[in-house]
Order: sequence, then structure tokens, then C-alpha cells
Amino acid sequence: MDKLLFADIDEPGLNTLDVYSRRGGYESLRRALQMTPDAVLAELEASGLRGRGGAGFAMGKKASFLPKGSMDKYLCCNADESEPGTFKDREIMQKNPHLLIEGMIIASYAAGINRAFIYIRGEYVLQADMLAGALAEAQAAGFLGEGILGSEHALSLVVHRGAGAYICGEETALLDSLEGKRGNPRLKPPFPANQGLYQGPTLINNVETLATVPAIIAMGGERYAQIGVENSTGTKLVSVSGNVQRPGNYEIELGIPSREIIYGLAGGPPEGREVKCWFPGGSSAPVLTAEDLDLPYDFDTMAKAGTMLGSGAIIVVDDSVAILDVALKVARFYRHESCGKCTPCREGTNWTVKMLERIESGEATPMDLDILASVQQQIIGHCLCVLGDAMAMPIGSLVAKFRPEFEEHIEAARQRAESPAAAVDTPLLRGAA
Amino acid sequence: MSPSVPRFAHGSRVPGWDDAADLDKDPAVIPEPSTTEVPDELRAEIEAHMANYPDRRSAVLPALAAAQRLHGWCSPQALDQVASVMALTPAYLASVASFYDMLETRPVGRHSIYVCTNISCSLCGADELFAALSEAAHDDPEINVRAFECLGACDIAPMASVDGVYVGPLSPDDAVALLRDLRAGGPVLPERQLVRRACADPQANRQDWPAPEALPGSGGRSAEEVGRAAGESEPESEPGA
Amino acid sequence: MPRPQTREISFTIDGREVRSPENIMLVDAAKHGDVEIPVFCYEPKLGQPVGACRMCLVEVEGIGKLQTACSTPVKDGMVVNTQTERVREAQQAVVEFLLVNHPLDCPVCDKGGECPLQDISFGWGGGRSRFIEPKRHFSKPLELSPLIAIDRERCILCYRCVRFSQEISEDYQLVLLERGAHSFVGTFDGHPYVGPFSGNIIELCPVGALTSRPYRFRARPWDIEGAGSVCTLCPAQCNVELTVRDERVLRVLARENPGVDDGWLCDKGRFGYQSFHSDDRVTEPLIRDGGQLRPVSWERALQEAASALARAGERTGALAGGQSTNEEGLLLSRLMREALGSGDLDSRAGGSVPLDLARALSAPARQASVPDLEFAHAVLVIDCEPTDDAPIIDLRLRKGVRRHGVALAVASSRPSSLDASSTLSIRYSPGGAAAFVAALDAALSGGEVQEPAARAGVPADQVNALAELLRSSASRPGHESDPPEVVIVWGERLTRGPGAEVAVRGLLNLADRLDMATTAGAGLLEIPEQSNGRGLREAGVLPNAGPGLSEPPAPGPGRGTQQIAQALASGELSALYLLHSDPLRELPDRGLWQRALAAATTVVAHTAFLTEGVREHATVVFPAESYPEREGTVTHPDGRVQRLRPAIARPGQVRPGWRVLAELSAGLGCDLGVRSPASASEALLASVPFYEGLTLERLAGRGLRWPEGDGARALPDADGGPFELAGESLPAGVRGNGDGTLALGGYRPLWAGPEVQASPALAFLSTDQRLELSPADARRLGIGDGQRVSVTVQDEAGAPEGEGAIEVTAIASMREAVPAGCAFMAESTPESSAHELIGPGRTPSVQVRPR
Repeated sequence: MDKLLFADIDEPGLNTLDVYSRRGGYESLRRALQMTPDAVLAELEASGLRGRGGAGFAMGKKASFLPKGSMDKYLCCNADESEPGTFKDREIMQKNPHLLIEGMIIASYAAGINRAFIYIRGEYVLQADMLAGALAEAQAAGFLGEGILGSEHALSLVVHRGAGAYICGEETALLDSLEGKRGNPRLKPPFPANQGLYQGPTLINNVETLATVPAIIAMGGERYAQIGVENSTGTKLVSVSGNVQRPGNYEIELGIPSREIIYGLAGGPPEGREVKCWFPGGSSAPVLTAEDLDLPYDFDTMAKAGTMLGSGAIIVVDDSVAILDVALKVARFYRHESCGKCTPCREGTNWTVKMLERIESGEATPMDLDILASVQQQIIGHCLCVLGDAMAMPIGSLVAKFRPEFEEHIEAARQRAESPAAAVDTPLLRGAA
Repeated sequence: MSPSVPRFAHGSRVPGWDDAADLDKDPAVIPEPSTTEVPDELRAEIEAHMANYPDRRSAVLPALAAAQRLHGWCSPQALDQVASVMALTPAYLASVASFYDMLETRPVGRHSIYVCTNISCSLCGADELFAALSEAAHDDPEINVRAFECLGACDIAPMASVDGVYVGPLSPDDAVALLRDLRAGGPVLPERQLVRRACADPQANRQDWPAPEALPGSGGRSAEEVGRAAGESEPESEPGA
Repeated sequence: MPRPQTREISFTIDGREVRSPENIMLVDAAKHGDVEIPVFCYEPKLGQPVGACRMCLVEVEGIGKLQTACSTPVKDGMVVNTQTERVREAQQAVVEFLLVNHPLDCPVCDKGGECPLQDISFGWGGGRSRFIEPKRHFSKPLELSPLIAIDRERCILCYRCVRFSQEISEDYQLVLLERGAHSFVGTFDGHPYVGPFSGNIIELCPVGALTSRPYRFRARPWDIEGAGSVCTLCPAQCNVELTVRDERVLRVLARENPGVDDGWLCDKGRFGYQSFHSDDRVTEPLIRDGGQLRPVSWERALQEAASALARAGERTGALAGGQSTNEEGLLLSRLMREALGSGDLDSRAGGSVPLDLARALSAPARQASVPDLEFAHAVLVIDCEPTDDAPIIDLRLRKGVRRHGVALAVASSRPSSLDASSTLSIRYSPGGAAAFVAALDAALSGGEVQEPAARAGVPADQVNALAELLRSSASRPGHESDPPEVVIVWGERLTRGPGAEVAVRGLLNLADRLDMATTAGAGLLEIPEQSNGRGLREAGVLPNAGPGLSEPPAPGPGRGTQQIAQALASGELSALYLLHSDPLRELPDRGLWQRALAAATTVVAHTAFLTEGVREHATVVFPAESYPEREGTVTHPDGRVQRLRPAIARPGQVRPGWRVLAELSAGLGCDLGVRSPASASEALLASVPFYEGLTLERLAGRGLRWPEGDGARALPDADGGPFELAGESLPAGVRGNGDGTLALGGYRPLWAGPEVQASPALAFLSTDQRLELSPADARRLGIGDGQRVSVTVQDEAGAPEGEGAIEVTAIASMREAVPAGCAFMAESTPESSAHELIGPGRTPSVQVRPR
């Protein structure tokens, strides 16, 4: 398989316009500008490209939702990449920033947009600087600004640095944050395509999605659609991390067996260890177990297995790890990142952590596992955005799939706590926060 | 296994919950420009950011980041200055600043070490790393060691962002060397920096390219400047060189 | 802006077909079928729903996930279920989550018994909690401001209060800090939340997290009664519900009237109730005896007043202040005209407006209503600071801009708090208002702009830009020639002094140029200086008009406010009747009034407080009612006649105003034929022709706008222009001329007035007199911010020989927004009032020196 995004990714100077153009960079843009915007849109729709940020919505379709007309429309690149386990966009922005910029110019042309922003998480300092440098070059070379390459298309592009908030990866929270507010998600509808940034129609796409656009224009949407499997076309960057021997980003063809990614590419767990469970799409995805390793890695199969492909971040947990520790880590993360706007997420994540802490310290009975599971059910589907579900689904799946281990832990911890030498440091006695 | 979280005297982890308003103070409205002094560079930077957006309010995050670089944290004075330039209330800025993890609402050391303690890193020993770094830096008020959520570098787990420069994988034993490099102002653990790391995908590159240079140390410079310097230091070599 | 048109649709809720307007939110639509959907964060007054609390989840057929009823617009044929197991479980889940950290300290909570959280927990909660972890505990209550206590344990983070601060009052002082479960409501760096509207957050809070400090622990809901009335502390005349316990008002709540207040109150209206029960209230008749005011019986006081007034006869003048009802105004005018034979009475602070112009201004076709402010294409505010003059109007203007895209323009000499919301702000020189109106008229009619603009002290291109803004405000693609709906909000201040006539002619010209008379939703809205200024004029308290703006009855036209003062000072008049008025406190040219009052032989004052003019000069004092004790009607600036209803008994020996006036008149040998409050109202409604058709019953709780009623045609016709505005006679604005003098303008702060002083809760708001000036002038004069300065003016208003300069001290306050050459000071303050320096129509040039 040819690499579409990672081809010679480490070539020195690829981040410069010089090397990028020498490798055929901005040719897709030239080609796109020869086409009508609708024709470009048609190619994107034909490609079947699904959003690479997590939700997996068809990119071309999303772009086609934007109203036609001369109103102010906006393109936002979601470079907030904060889903635990995900680090693929980082590699593109750092090493091949022009690829993203070219993709954005083409997308903006297709959707009739003249203002674009890249919302990059504040922690990605190096990557934001690389983008800013590339942006300056692109501007100077006439790829941005008025009358791009002699066409009538104009685009201004600004790199906007975040300041550390996972929720800003949620598209409407990203818009609020970009407007200079707290990153609280908005009610939908109205959807950003109608009323987004500054109340104008807004197209929001992930870095990887936009970076794929030049390849689609170069090869044609239909040819792109032949890569991968039905409903999951093309190549996908997967970030493999956790208990594996060769963690990192891999560009794969969608639909290959998961085992090939985890074992074949990432080398599997360390010598002598087995896969206990794995998150197929970031820590928000319900976990799968070793039994699921042969499932094809694509959107539909993962959905059928009760989980999701999400951002394509595979986190492998081996059999040396206690599931309770995994659950606590995950729950604490979502509690920390909950924006606090809606009740079930704000209170539910907080309560879940407290229950898990209680279970950890042995102040629990197996009945508490029922409450824990029920609280997850009370969160799912009731929140303003998906963050609440993003905790409740994996925690729910951990409790469901590893209940005996939780019960064993409760029993062991209870015995420890009852022994005279027990520490008295327990959440109940410590007080709440 | 969880890193200890500092608590305030009454058991709350949240500063501010127990604070009443000081009734002797005037209400905090938009600061009067003629009586609020703002350093020229800060004003210029904020105004430049405001010009980037259709709505000046969009410049809040970059403006707060600029004020934090100048003042070390988003102090009341820093917020007042930003508020004056942007014609916003300082309360609005405080609300925004306290939402984002990278904006400090308490005084902190000049150097920041964010240790990722999220799932992937902690599976690889991040909690021990955080403990070691906290221990090694605990008596240095200039160094702000923080447990941070996923920094998006699980491929170099466990890792830390040292004044914005990603280094990893690290072990607890690296804590001393890391702090030594940081205090010396040179590149921090140059061999371990993310910038030098090649893509893991064995088929991505058709040949072995030379690894890029490490990033220079912070030496008291802003994280942004460090990053910019790194961008400049990228060798512009010929393809296939 | 066209008002939304609503179509009726039918939808199904819980199996029943219900009709409701289309596109309203399901929560509201459900009410049409008597179905209640619980909400916490939803409050339509706050703007777009936020969907934060998740309490209102319901099932909408065809949509997989449960939907928030607060944000789902109802559509024809929609099928909604609020009673299914799935919905019940979701609602119980949300209640359980909300109570996870709520302290449930209902027994000691002020909200107990009137708490939505209690009600919803009971109605929609599961009745149990599985949360056994410790709840958060924090110090409480904490002061958020001198008026408001915050209990963060009880807060359920519904966002209502912070939305109010950010989207309604737009002060951005109250915010959410931190994130997630740690979020809390607070301010910047420990500053208190203080603003003209802060108290509304208490009423918005659906739990006991924000409570009123003055009301704290005063009563339980079962101890109290609610009584509806109208606040008469300012011209906005908000509708209120008074919380009464044992004949005491303990609290004032909003009584939403979309035509008046939109359900908001200012803090003066909300907390000023303490003045009703102040020890400073005058509660018995007083007469001056040996230089001292001493209590006497009513008989004695009435007798004393009657004989003194009888002696003065037609040499009596009268002033009625804004708290007077229409009925009191009518009775006063009859007392003056019929019993004393004097036509010297007035209710206007500044200059007089010729009767034909007053009629033209009142013509129903030129009247804007309060809701018009929200839906107009453009609103121009002239010589008026709504936050101070009629605060609730300020909120309505902000709402129009924020929600309906109204183009707002502000023209004033002092920087306005609306500047940040306005498309265009114009600063004319102090005293240049009339010239500015003339300049705008010229710009709209293709006349010569340069000359009047120069007199106003405004660049001509700004005036032209404003004219263009108003003219093209309705323009949008395809509708370039739509007539703009423009509303002009103007302050009575504009008619102060000799420029009054030209200013009014100018306003009528603007109305003509902008086709107000023929455009629905367009018009003029005057904000009078007195709370019931409009009603008093319509009741006949004018020197040049009888009730209903009729020709002045016998003895014909009399003296206005300014002439009364001069005639008293010169001895032409010997007696003065003050109905809820203290000229020393309220009227410009304090020096003249000092002399007038000192020269008067008889001053009969009808007052609730002994403010300085009454205290020093009254010979007879009748204790007056406060508004919750009063019965009668008042007229809103937009012509809405509203009813005051008594909520509490009168304290001490206070008698109703109508009765005192009737008895006094009888004592003077003139029976006014009024025996009860109802008969006083009947007499009023019968005397004012255009109030025809209004009855107390029809006025009911929300009042009626007479310009919309059948009686409106009874207003005598008058020439509405356009008029020729003589260029040379335009009064010119004043600017500092570089020799060290500054032009001094005045403004009346919201917090002026005896009710604020007499309310302990509001005491912190009365500040020292400040002189606002530009940083450039301050530097030139060597004055630092916060420094005490002396402000002097050479008295040119006919002071007795040798009195020389008038001096007032103030604290300098630098404001970048103040134009160079100008300075501003507060009027109507008990001490150091700008009124000492400013006369009606006289803008002084003042010397400012450090002290």
C-alpha cells in the first residue's frame, strides 16, 4: 500500500515549501482550482472519506451541508488532538504542515469559505510553530490571501493556540474557545454548518481528514474509495500505545485485522505478556478483549462490536495491569476534563471517581458495582455533548467485562482494611472535593 | 497509584470556593484605560492578536498567554492589563483563564514540567516518573512540576513537556539529568526529544534520513521562542540527501 | 425589525392533541396542554436556551435520543412523551445527580417553601439517593456583595446568574470560575458584584444559593402575602410584587409585564423598600413653630395651611414631584386654580413646552411603546442616560441590540453606558443638545448641517453618518427602500431652559423626516425627569394646560417652575405648595431656589422625608404615603396608565394624599367632590378626555396604553411641523476654551433620591461627589485621579451683589471617554450637588483646582 500521508514523512525539510513543492506539493490545489467548487465537493463525496477525528461523519457530505451564498463562512481545522492515546495529527503538523494547509485551501475552495483557523492544542508548541512557519511561506508564495494562484478564491488562515482543555476538541466547544470564551459545548441544533463560528456557517474537520484531501484530489475520489473496505475507505493513521513494544503512528488500510496492527506493526505486549484489553479508538471507546483481536479494524466492525474506531488510537493493556487502575485513570481524566456545563457529566464523572476510589480502598461491596454501572447508564445519552458518554461507556464496559476482577479486588481490599495494620487513609475519611 | 493532589486547608482542592467578596473593593468593571498601565510590548502583542480575528474577543487566549509569559502567571494585575487593552472585564478573563490548564491562576515557577500521567503513559510508568520529578524539584520554587492529562505523545511514553519541549521515554532515573539540563539552560535530554524521533511506521520512509537536531534549552526564554528556534534550525536539505 | 409572526399548530403530548404557537419551545408548548416539564436552567428572559441542567429531557417520536424540551421548538404533528419510563428514569437521574452535592439544608434555607429544587425533587425525583460519599462542605453564606449572599454548597450550576450578568445587564462581573465539578460562581479577585441590576440574580436562582441579605431569615413563604403594585421610584414604573408580612414590606419582586419591564427590576426598586419603614419617615403633621418643625394634629396642620394659603391666595405657586399620582396631580391643579385662583403650578423641572407642541409630542401616531425599542430597526437615544434615568429601559435597549439586531445610536454629552452596545455614539458639547437635534434634522432633510453641528460641538460628518444610519437601518438585500422603523428615546433634560422650544420642534421634525406617524413601531419616547412626569402633565399640573392638555382653565396660563422661583425670590409670590417635591434637592439652580424658599412666607410640603428644602423652609408639613400605601394611577412614559394598589397600612398618622388635598380645598371653601380613592380616580378619568374608556377595572394588573385606546382621538390636534428651525437662535454648546475652564454637564445618578439614603441596604451606593474629566484635562490642570478638587463658577444668575463665586468640592475621576474640555458632576445629591452650579439652560464654565 502506498502511504498517502506518511510518504517519506521524515525527509529533512519536508516542512518547508521548497521540499514540499519539489515532491509535488500544491499540485492538487492547482488541479482543484481548475475544477468548479461543486466538482471538488463531488470528488470528496465520492472518496467516502469519513472524518478522522472521532465521530466518523462523511467529510464530503459535511462540507455539502454548508449553505451556498456570499455570507461569511468559516473553516476550522480541529487540531486539538486530546483524546488519550491519540498523537497522529501531531506527526503530520510537525513534519508535513503544508499538506494540511493545502488540504484546507482545497476544502475552503470547495465550500466557498474565505476565512480559516487551525485550532491547535496549546501543548503542541513545536507543531504550532511549524504550522506558523509553513503558513508564512504559503502566504508569501501566494497560496493564501487574495486571488490564490490567479483564481478568484481568497483565504486567510490563522493558527490559534489553545490553552489546555480536552473539551475543546468537541467541535462546538472549539468554536466557543476560538471565540475567546470558556470551552463549553453548545446545544445542537443549530449545527455548526448553519450557525457556527461567529454565528456563521462553519465547516470543522480534523487535521488528518483535511490532510487527506490533496491525495483525494490527486488520485480522484473514486480511486481513493477503492482503498479500504466498504464504508471505511482509504488509509487511516492509527496511534498505538500502552503496553506494546513499538508504540507509534502507523498508516494502515482500513479493514485489516486488528491483530496485525497490535502485534504485526506495534510488536504486541512485552515479552511474556498477553493482551488483557484494548481501547480501539482512544480512551472514550468501550474496551475490547483478547478475543476481539481478529476483528477487522474499520468503522462498521468496531461499531458492531459495541465500541468505536474513534480517532484511531489503540491503547493496549496487558495482563500485568489491574483493571481498577485503568478505570480510575480513565474516570479521573474525564472528571478533570468535564467542562461542568451539564449536570450528568459534571456530577456523574465526579461521583464515578469517588465510587472507584472507595472500591480501591475496600470501602465497598459488590452492590456498589451495580450502582457504579447504573450511574454510567444514567449518564449515557443524557448529556449536552459526548464527554459524559466518553467516560460512561468505557467504565461501563470495564465493569461489565471484568466484574469478577472488581469483586476480587473489593474482597481483598476489605480484608486489608480490616487488618489491624491497615492505613486509615480512605476517601470517606479524607473528605470530599 | 494516583498522584497526590494538593488540598487547601479545609479539604477542598478548589481555591476560591470559600472566598467571600471583599466589600471594601469597588466592583470590577472594564478597567479605565487612563489609569491602567500596560507595558508597551504586551499592548502591541495583544493588539496584533486582536487584528487577526473578526471579533477582538477571539484574541483572549493568545492575549492571556502573552500576559502569562510576561507576569509568570495570570495575576490580577495581568488580567487587569489584558482587560484594559481588550475592553473586557477582568472577571471575564478570570473565568476563561481558570478554565484552561495551561493558564496559571496561582503564582508558579518560571519553568514548567508537565508530566503526562494519562492512561498510556501511566501504563508505562508515568506515575513513578512524576513522583521522581516532583521529589527532585520539590525544593526549587522556580520549577513547576505538574501532572498533566494526555499530552499527545504516547509513542514516547512516559514523557514530559519541559517548557514546551517534549522529551521521552523517561524513567524515574532521568529526573536528575533532566533538571540539570533545564537549570543549565541547554537542550534538555537532547537524545530523548520528540523532534528527533522518526515515524514508527516502517514503510513510511523509503530510506533512512538523518535525525533532526534537538531543541535548544529554554534558558528562560518562552516556550514559543524555543519552538520558533527549532523551526529555524530545521535543516533544509536536498531530498535524498 | 419585523416582529415574529406566529402560526398555530397542533402536536401530541402524552397522547393528547394540543394546539400551540409554532416554534415555541416544547417546555412552553406543553403548558398549552397543562403538562409541566421541569426546568432549572431554562429561563426565556435570559435569551437562547443553554440546555445545561438536562432536567427537561423528553421523548420526541422519531428522534432516538431524549431531547431537552427547553431547546426543541414545537412543530406541527410532533409527538412528545413526558411520562414514559425512559423519561422518568432520565429525570430521576438528573435530580439524583443534582442532589449529589446539594446540602439539603432546607430547614435553614431562605428559599425553603418557594424553591424549584424542592418542588422538582418532589415531583420528578426518585425520592432516594445512593450517594454515600461525603458532600462538599464550605463556609457559607459568603458575601457576594452588600446586597447578596452566596451559598456555594447549594448552587446547582444552572448558569442563570452568570447568564444574567453577561447577556442581560452585560456587566460581565459575575462569572463561572474553574471547570467541571470544581466550577463555582464568583467574581474577579474578590471584588463584589455591584451593578444597577444585580438583585435580579436572587430572583433567578432556582435554589437557595443566591439570597438577599436584607431579606435573609425575615420570613417563610407561609408568613407572607404578595401584593401587586407599581414602583414609582423612577419613570420606568416597573410592575412589582411586594412581599408583605405584618404590614411591612420585606421584599420586592418583579411582576413581569412585557409592556413595561420584561420581568426585571433595578436594585433601587428592589431594595429601596427599606425606606418605607425608615425611622426617618415623616409620619405626623408638622408645623414650624419658633423656627422648629413640631408635630401637631391634622386639624391644626390643615387649618394652618388653609389659612396661610388663603392669605396668599393667587400669590401661591405649586410644584408636583414625580411620586405624585395622577389623582393627586388633578386635585392639586384644582386646588390651585379653583380654590386659590392661581395658575402658577408645574411638574416640569426645566423649561416649559408650548401647549401646541406638547400636544403634537403626545399625538398617538408619534408615540413609541417600550416593546418598540426591541423591534425597531434603529433606536436613537438623545440626552438621556437610561441606566440612571429609567434603568429598565437600558436593559430593553440592550436586548434589542443583542437579540434582534437593533442598530443603536447614542447622542449625549456625557459618555453613556450604552456606548459599547451602540453602532454610533455622538458626543455633543454640554448644552448643545438642541443644536444637535437641529443638525440631525438638517442632515435628514438635506439642509445645512455645518452650522448647527458646529453649535452642538459635533463634526458634521458624524451627524451625516447618523442620518444615514437611521435612514438605511431597514435596508437589506431586496428591501432597499423599506421605511425604517426608528424610535427616538429622549430625555426631558433636552427641554431644559430656553432651548426647549427649538428642541421640541426639532424632535417633531425628526419624527416627520423619519415618517414616524405613518410607520408602525416607530415613534418618540420621552423619559421624563419625574417618575410620573407624563401623568402629572396629563392631569393638568402645567402652567399652560389643564387636564388632558386642554387650554388652561381659569385663571388662565400661569408661571412655570423657573418663573415660580423667580417670583418667590422677588416677592411676587408668597406661598409655595410642594407635592412630593423638594426644589433644593431636585431642581437646577439651587442658589435661586435657596433665595426663593427663604423669601416665601408659606411653604406647605407634602412629603415622606425631610429633605433639606423641606427641613429648612417648610412651614407646614403633611406626612405623605410611600407608594405601597398609595392608591391611584400613574402614567408610564409610553402612555400606559397603571394602577397603584395599597399593599400595607399607612404608618403613624399618614393620610392619603387625595384626602389631604380634598380636605385642604374644602378648608379653603372649595369642595372638590372627592370622597374616596375610587372617586378620585373617577374624577381623573373623567377629566382627561383621552383617558376615555379606561376604568380601574380595565386597567387591572398591567395597565393600558391610552394612545392605543379609543379615547386617543380626544387629544386636541396640533401642528406637528415640519418647522423652520432658526439657525441663529440655536443655543450653542459649551466647551472648555483652553484657559483652564471646563464646560460642566450634569447627570442624575440612579442612586440619587431620599429613598436610597433611607434604605440601609443601599447606603453603600451613595458615593462622594465625583468630577469626571478627561485625562488630558486632568494632566493640564495638574490633577490626579482620586484627588479632591474645588469646582467654581462665577455666579451669573442674578445673585445679590457681592456673593461672588459658587464653589463645590468633588473628587476627580479620570475617564478616557470624557471629551476634552468637558466635565461632569452628579445632580440631586444631598451635598455638593451639580445643581449649585448648573441652571436650567445654563451650562457653566467651571474652574477646577486641586484642593
